[in-house]
Amino acid sequence: MRGRGRTAFIISFLAPAVLFYAAFVLWPLVQAFQFSTFRWRGLSARMTPVGGDNYRQLWEDQAFATALKNNLLLLAEAGVVIIALALMVAHVVRGQGPVQKFLRSIYLFPQVVSMVVVAVMWQFIFNPQGLFNAGLRALGLDALTRTWLGESAWALPSVAVAFVWYAVGFYIMLFAAGLEGIPQEVNEAAELDGSKGWHRFCHITWHLLWSVKRVAVTYLVINVMNTFALVYLMTRGGPDRRSEVMLTYLYEQAFVNSNFGYATALAVGNFVVVMGLSLLILFLFRRNPVEARA
Amino acid sequence: MKRFLSAAFLLAFTLSVLLPLLWALMSSVKPGSEILGQPWALPSVLRFDNYGRAWGEAGIGRAFLNSLMVTVGTLIVLLPIGAMAAYVLAKYAFRGAKALLATFLGGMMFPHFLVIVPLFLLMRDLRMLDTVYGLIIVYIAYSLSFTVFVLVGFFVNLPDELAEAAMLDGCGHATTFWKVMLPLARPGLIVVGIFDAIGLWNEYGLALVLLPSEANQTLPVGIARLTMTQQYQSDWGALFAGLVIVMLPVLVVYSFFREKIHETMLAGAVKG
Repeated sequence: MRGRGRTAFIISFLAPAVLFYAAFVLWPLVQAFQFSTFRWRGLSARMTPVGGDNYRQLWEDQAFATALKNNLLLLAEAGVVIIALALMVAHVVRGQGPVQKFLRSIYLFPQVVSMVVVAVMWQFIFNPQGLFNAGLRALGLDALTRTWLGESAWALPSVAVAFVWYAVGFYIMLFAAGLEGIPQEVNEAAELDGSKGWHRFCHITWHLLWSVKRVAVTYLVINVMNTFALVYLMTRGGPDRRSEVMLTYLYEQAFVNSNFGYATALAVGNFVVVMGLSLLILFLFRRNPVEARA
Repeated sequence: MKRFLSAAFLLAFTLSVLLPLLWALMSSVKPGSEILGQPWALPSVLRFDNYGRAWGEAGIGRAFLNSLMVTVGTLIVLLPIGAMAAYVLAKYAFRGAKALLATFLGGMMFPHFLVIVPLFLLMRDLRMLDTVYGLIIVYIAYSLSFTVFVLVGFFVNLPDELAEAAMLDGCGHATTFWKVMLPLARPGLIVVGIFDAIGLWNEYGLALVLLPSEANQTLPVGIARLTMTQQYQSDWGALFAGLVIVMLPVLVVYSFFREKIHETMLAGAVKG
């Protein structure tokens, strides 16, 4: 676009957004990396530069290791269930029919309500007197009832169930769009070759969903590694840190213990983990297997 | 047989998605003692007064107004300044334009918790901690990335000829934007506004840290606080009424605009 007063226009139109963004996003971001090299406790102004000490502490911190392990467990447990379930459901509700579209939109309900609502609801479902145990008792399965969120073996899997419920709708939509994108000729050719059912899925469809799978796995990693509200409100990371995740531990260090320097190092650590996993995904999905063969 | 199996599977899945939501809805009109006492049973009496107590004594009404203020206040500033920046970035070539756009989009890459400590201290130093306008300012800043991302997509697709014609008619750059281009981008503004509104209405982490005092709390923080305090009073009826108050507006808005919302959710995703 040309015309008089161009430069003044560009500057004046960019200025408000840039100012907000620089002051409240970029500046704290720069500070995050800086703060993580200070020892800084409490609300006093006393900051002692300690170089890499916070990161050394992080490396040896058992609680952080537990939190990271729980994040990865949650990723594995919830991730496998979400992808399997989403693929199956997407297979049934793909296409542009009104019923299919309507069902897919219902599956997104959990995604659009606040994570807080999700957490509180599932906390009550998994309450010892809650919906889940009552259902088990009604079926005569009294032996299976548990204090789901209070037992160390069950707290994290229970959170994973809530996470699956919350997240699966988005992946259904994603996979439905992916299945939709498979060219009709491919399905017809497979039909002619007598490939159907499981065989067609394993040998053809699964490979053609390559780009959708990559997106799905990336989103999963980012979502699970940044889980906070769900764990914080359902279990507080308990019992005995058995469901602690990185961000609930960070919150505790920052806003319960006022360990600002160390908490910032934890934040950077979390970021590094997410970036590392994202790069790993890029590497694992570096080549489209379908294109490679063509 | 196969058709029957997949229909049964679909029915079971759909029910399990809806069950918790319907259960919360039913529990919101139950006497508090029945919510955990007989979780599967229908309410023995309908207690609509749960909503009254949630709104009043439990502080959900105040939190609702705070959330409304924060959401609307953010959008009023965010949409114009986001659209202005997106328009310039989409339609004007200048040195550094690409880098600036990348900087904006980069904001979608990292979680809020990476900056939560510096942000908390910054807001404290600016004396904006625990103020509603402080949270609004933070929300504007953190919503810009997504807003600019979507709106750049809309402006890029508007033909340059329209703006050029307006400028030949004597409109300045700014007038061309406000009178010609912005009205044409209205569908984009609506979509991004709805997305932002839902996200802001539901936001928990930043609101939890930046608005500590009860009088300022937004709905998600208020509900979370209620679960703690009600452990002693166990007015579960009011709590569940509160849950419905939080989610109902979002579900209504979502139902109205679901096609648009789906498109936008997938837009970034399936290009691969």
